[in-house]
Amino acid sequence: MRDASPLLLRVYRIALVFYPAKFRQEYRQQMLQTLRDAYCDKQTGSGKFWVSVFYDLLKSAAMERSSMLRAQILKQPIFLHTFALALIMTILGGAAAITMHGMLRRGANQPQAEMADFYSSEIFSGTSPEDAIPAGYIDLERNLQPFVIFYDEHGKPERSTGYLGQAIPVLPPGVFQYARDHGSDVFTWQPRRGVRIAAVTRYIAGTRPGYILAGRSLRLTEEYESLLRRMTFFGWFATMLLLAFGAVLLNRAQRGPLAA
Amino acid sequence: MNAKRLSDPGGMLPLTAAVFSILLALAGSEKHGYAIMKEVSLDEGGAVSMGPGTLYGSLDRMLKASLIEETDLTDNDRRRYYRITRFGAEVLAAETSRLSRAIRSARRKGVLKEARP
Repeated sequence: MRDASPLLLRVYRIALVFYPAKFRQEYRQQMLQTLRDAYCDKQTGSGKFWVSVFYDLLKSAAMERSSMLRAQILKQPIFLHTFALALIMTILGGAAAITMHGMLRRGANQPQAEMADFYSSEIFSGTSPEDAIPAGYIDLERNLQPFVIFYDEHGKPERSTGYLGQAIPVLPPGVFQYARDHGSDVFTWQPRRGVRIAAVTRYIAGTRPGYILAGRSLRLTEEYESLLRRMTFFGWFATMLLLAFGAVLLNRAQRGPLAA
Repeated sequence: MNAKRLSDPGGMLPLTAAVFSILLALAGSEKHGYAIMKEVSLDEGGAVSMGPGTLYGSLDRMLKASLIEETDLTDNDRRRYYRITRFGAEVLAAETSRLSRAIRSARRKGVLKEARP
């Protein structure tokens, strides 16, 4: 079998590019010579030898790069301070974005929570679902208004203001079980592909047991969320660019009079 | 390397295994890169396995810390020779002494078994 070592030596020579330029300039020739010496004198098999050589190259190159970066940062405190500022702003911005996202999500369940409370207490107190829930037609695919559905205790829809086409959408049985066990359930419901609903369900005991579901399309909320994500990313990116630009300018301004 | 460290070998301790082995390898005589690499991989030199990258990275830091220096002796640009400095020898002595104390303590506590002849 042909010895692959001249080829691996060439690969090693090219891979030296992983080291910082200054380090390479200083030690490239010596490293290659040491490698040639070690290869001629090796006690182990070729495979093991080259694995250890390339592992060493990757490990030490990463170490030299990080040590160079640390030295550069320490030498130029403006960059260190800028980095710290960027980190703080990223954390604060991230926390603000997460808070706003949480508020948007919580807001998506309003006014469904109040509606579910209202209709469930009406039905619990003896009003029939037909009288409690006004007639109406809200197309779940197109309309953004909140709607309400009453299901009997077996999960069969009886009265609704929300429709998918001409039919009242049916909930998965697991939701009824959860609402019965816990009193209520708050969840995101996808009755059809592309139709996502922020829904609140309450279990109603009493003379007319069943479930009330109040829901509203998530389309608007998801558009806001998408907008928030884009704004957060572009805002963060622009801030980082400005910080980097400012740091470079300040650094130049500090070095200018000395260089002159 | 700052003046405080130069005046105080103890400020350099503890040494990494690579630095200790290189100093030990250079304690006998000046050597070029491969000779150092070969010696540190032997049991007597600490059995530290290192490739050219780790070797020259360590040599670079040791040069900056004035633990070693380049000699005038050279085969060509590809093979430069290094020797230990006076400060490097003091640091090596301090580290060896520190390790000896640790070994004595380990023996007293029965952690280190005596080697059988």
